[in-house]
Amino acid sequence: MIEFENVSYAYPTTAEDALGPVSFAIPAGQVCGVVGASGSGKSTLASAVAGMIPHVSGGRLSGEVRVGGRPVATTPLADLVTEVGLVVQNPFNQMSGAKFTVREELAFGLENLGVDRAEMVRRIEQVLEDLRIEHLADRSPFALSGGQQQLVAIGSVLVMRPRVVVLDEPTSQLDPASATLVFGALDALRRNGITIVLVEHRIEQLAELADRVLVLSHGSLVLDGSPHDVFTDELLPDLGVSSTRYTRAARRAAERGLWPESLPLPVLLPEAVRGFGAGLSVEHTP
Amino acid sequence: MTTMFFQSGASPVHRLNPTTKLVMALAVTTTAFAIPVVWAPLVLLLVVLVPAVLVAGVQRPYARLLLLFSAPVVLVIFLLQGLFFPEGTTVLAEFGPATVTSEGLLFAAQTSLRLVVMLGSFLFLLLTTHPGVLMSAMVERGMSPNTSYVISATLQIVPAFRARAQNVLRAQQARGLDTTGLRRRVRALLPLVGPLLLGSLADLEERAVAMEARAFGSTTRRTSLVAVADSSAQRWARLLMGAAAVTAIVVNVLGVVR
Repeated sequence: MIEFENVSYAYPTTAEDALGPVSFAIPAGQVCGVVGASGSGKSTLASAVAGMIPHVSGGRLSGEVRVGGRPVATTPLADLVTEVGLVVQNPFNQMSGAKFTVREELAFGLENLGVDRAEMVRRIEQVLEDLRIEHLADRSPFALSGGQQQLVAIGSVLVMRPRVVVLDEPTSQLDPASATLVFGALDALRRNGITIVLVEHRIEQLAELADRVLVLSHGSLVLDGSPHDVFTDELLPDLGVSSTRYTRAARRAAERGLWPESLPLPVLLPEAVRGFGAGLSVEHTP
Repeated sequence: MTTMFFQSGASPVHRLNPTTKLVMALAVTTTAFAIPVVWAPLVLLLVVLVPAVLVAGVQRPYARLLLLFSAPVVLVIFLLQGLFFPEGTTVLAEFGPATVTSEGLLFAAQTSLRLVVMLGSFLFLLLTTHPGVLMSAMVERGMSPNTSYVISATLQIVPAFRARAQNVLRAQQARGLDTTGLRRRVRALLPLVGPLLLGSLADLEERAVAMEARAFGSTTRRTSLVAVADSSAQRWARLLMGAAAVTAIVVNVLGVVR
């Protein structure tokens, strides 16, 4: 679904490449997490998938990015936006600012695409239901909490029925409860077979949701694998990415011989419970 | 729901096509300025605007806002024209260099009434028309979607911008910025404006990207979610109001009424 072939990119104002060269492919329906320290090229990669690079940002792009087999650089943006949806970091900035209710806000992209009214209504009602935000439909987008606003931002993209959704740190400005709402919505997208590229700092929730994780460092792709393989990799702290608290605790326990050697380090809570349970029973065996 | 001035309601006035109300506001204002009879604007206010406001059921916010917006203007007009009208000959009272003349008072009354009618006409439009519906109607009438976006976004962004300014101000106050007294408030503007503008500029790029991702740059003919109802009766009413305004201008130009 998404292919990066030797892609390098430099912003118009800088000589140095912000990304690349990177090559990878994401199959349809996969949830791919992207992590890395600040300035590692995560947002640049997200923008490149969504076609904002080079269509909006300009700069120097080499190599080829393809989405659904179409080269992003030569596909008109208006065609691309129905294939790839982009959710930016700050939900406030995702709002058009020109609409007075959530329902109208969701319609903004469809109006721009010239979708007829009956179809618009159908799609909007569907998205309101899918994201469980029917109760917000007649409220002002600017009178919502951060989490609610981010759900509307995601809805504003989903309503255009893209096959790929790219989210650039969608929970970075949200409290834990709001972040949970957003991850719940992303889980629903995954079940609907939408390909997701998720730039995210909340490692534990990402590990739970993603099928695969890419780690970027100084614009290069340095790790690529399953959440378990990536988040237990010993290189991770050197790349400015923390592992989950379960991995950190188990690693500390393993240093003291409290983690069973037969078990891999955990990434999520259930694996940690299983491992620590086994470790404790070994310790207490007379 | 209240959006800026709009007061939601289900009155026949609320259901009117926004273009009809806009034409009414323009026609009433034009007539008030064109007819050179002192009390003509008052007649328009009492015969056209007040009944319409009552039917819409927005009399309280209408009266409050009209008073709020027009009182300072009217006061200034009466002070300047009532006391210093250069063409005044019928002196009613004198206060040093200031002279109250009946011509000055009449001129002040006429100008004030015209301004009140103009403010009242557009206030009536804004109180009874949802901005989203107004913009949809304007786009249907040929207004560029980009212009419509700029107007709507301005209406929406102003409260959001104000909220951000409050946040910046609170952050500065938490760091010891004193904003008591006029002089200190003026001095506090600089540390307020800097972060406010820089923050807005930083948001600008992300917003532009988000808008492009939502097909704002599409060249397809746009559609609208909001259906704007219209009727042949309203089309006739608009035509008649337009004709009335043109007649008033002709009357003024030909000097039929003095």
